[in-house]
Amino acid sequence: MSALARNNVKVHGNPDGRPMIFAHGFGCDQNMWRYVWPAFEDDFRIVLFDHVGAGGSDAAAFDRTRYASLSGYADDVRQISRELELRDIVFVGHSVSAMIGVLAAAAEPERWGALVLIGPSARYIDDGEYVGGFSEEDITGLLDSMDSNFLGWSSTMAPVMMGNPDRPELGEELTNSFCRSDPEIARQFARVTFMSDNRDDLAAVRTPALVLQCADDPIAPESVGRYVAAALPGSRFVQLEATGHCPNLSAPQETIAAIRAFVDA
Amino acid sequence: MSRAPRPPGRVSPDGELLEESAEELFEDAPCGYLTCALDGTILRVNRTFEHWTGHERATLLGRRFRDLLTGPGKIYHETHYLPLLQMQGAVREIALDIVRADGTRLAALINSVQRQDEGRRPIIRTTIFDASDRRAYEQELLRARRREQEIAQLLQRSLLSGQPPRSADLCVEVLYRPAQAAHEVGGDWHDAFWLEHGRTAGLVVGDVVGRGIEAAAVMGQLRSAIRALASTGLAPGPLLDALDGFVARHRVGRMTTVAYAQLDVSTGELLYACAGHPPPVLLAPQAQPSLLWDGRSVPLNSVALGGARGQGAARLARGGTLLLYTDGLVERRRQSLDVGLADLLAQADRHADEDIAGMLTSVVRAMNDDHSDDICVLAAHRRG
Repeated sequence: MSALARNNVKVHGNPDGRPMIFAHGFGCDQNMWRYVWPAFEDDFRIVLFDHVGAGGSDAAAFDRTRYASLSGYADDVRQISRELELRDIVFVGHSVSAMIGVLAAAAEPERWGALVLIGPSARYIDDGEYVGGFSEEDITGLLDSMDSNFLGWSSTMAPVMMGNPDRPELGEELTNSFCRSDPEIARQFARVTFMSDNRDDLAAVRTPALVLQCADDPIAPESVGRYVAAALPGSRFVQLEATGHCPNLSAPQETIAAIRAFVDA
Repeated sequence: MSRAPRPPGRVSPDGELLEESAEELFEDAPCGYLTCALDGTILRVNRTFEHWTGHERATLLGRRFRDLLTGPGKIYHETHYLPLLQMQGAVREIALDIVRADGTRLAALINSVQRQDEGRRPIIRTTIFDASDRRAYEQELLRARRREQEIAQLLQRSLLSGQPPRSADLCVEVLYRPAQAAHEVGGDWHDAFWLEHGRTAGLVVGDVVGRGIEAAAVMGQLRSAIRALASTGLAPGPLLDALDGFVARHRVGRMTTVAYAQLDVSTGELLYACAGHPPPVLLAPQAQPSLLWDGRSVPLNSVALGGARGQGAARLARGGTLLLYTDGLVERRRQSLDVGLADLLAQADRHADEDIAGMLTSVVRAMNDDHSDDICVLAAHRRG
């Protein structure tokens, strides 16, 4: 089937502009770019999508084998770029999608023009000298808790969203859950995400990259971001003032300015 | 803990003094209250939260809310709770465990709103409800579901086990592969038995509507009914008619699809009938595989037929094989059944030279490798 339908691809912006693909991370869907992408719509062709299992994607397209590693997700991104015939793409990936972009760019360097990696981690679990920020027990605990349906992971106990009269501009989308995902798929995506180790994939990347690092990010601490930047040939490291793991939501202006400075350079 | 001096009270309509001021309502509400900065730094907390968690106010103020969570909770907080709050301005009924001062956990349900009043710094207001009982109940539900799955699996295994008939003339192999994502056992079943030992074999593949224990129980009843009816000497068409009666009388297994065949292993004479079931495949040596399209009728007890089910006849040559299977083998998303059936014939032809068990494995793998549906296949091979 078409990747455009499977991944709920939405295209906005300038049809003649340079393509800019936004890839969301574990947890939410393409809505998490809502404060960022409009800043680029005048001069870029904006491509938004949902990973299979998230948002408006076709959950029936989920295949355990295909998505047993991040390269399955990278194949989806490559398929989207082929179907839209995109070239010289700016890939903006948040969290685990940063590595998905790295894999896509390493596999097909000619198609990818620039990588913007927000809160990237090449490996979440500590390994000898390498500090990923999590112990193996942390991650096993996470996966166990997902297995036992705690934390609102299951469909029936999932977080219920409510309307917000203070922000009517969000309109009817409020009736949707931005973080809805098929619990079975979310479980495997969590496993694949937090067990991933992409340290050896970084050196092969020839695409210019920007690493955006937040302060006080409990998912991808600064040491992890610096590791990625050091291992990616020709990359730039920018420390944001924003705190947490989602600067695209908590500090969109700072995020936009950093991306703008990189793509205009 | 000593109580704060009582603020000025209020008077009820009948003159009784009520102790509740807004301050007391906040401090001693039946839920925990937290006010945090946007980065999660705790700015204000009520007495109930202190009591429930054992954390003193002084140690809470200035700390991050996420620091009170378990490791997995921190990840959930960062990847779900905060993004939702930032996108929507509010979240409701998020289940998180809060680590108490003594290391034990408070199972909590959390509601938050983000507020930005003019001239004030933006804040997150959070209420915390003790969800221990609800969490225990959820655990009970999970345990019950797991137990039910185990029972259903046990039941299904017992129904699908047993030695299929085997003789110098006949070899029967079966392959059952459940859907990978399924939580519950499926409704596919197979059966093979001697009607007359060494001479005539009864062969069955069926598909009951639904999943789980109920489906397994229905499967068991239909399986026994077919064996009993077959032993009276009924041919396939009349047997399915009689099975309709059983289904209607006992209100069990409506809309089940089933393929039933009788094979005379010495002559190769084959009688078969399909109630709403995909057509059997006939593999003959030195010939293209073919579909057996006769003897077709609707699923069991789906409409009143009044004893009108037909049956087909064919001959299974020595060295030939009959395949009965469920729709999981040939049905694929976004593809017509014709394509699936044509693929099945092509795959059966390609693997015809393998031994029967190997052929089954190869065909199932080639037909459907995404494990999206239960697959049940029975192969009856007439030895050459």
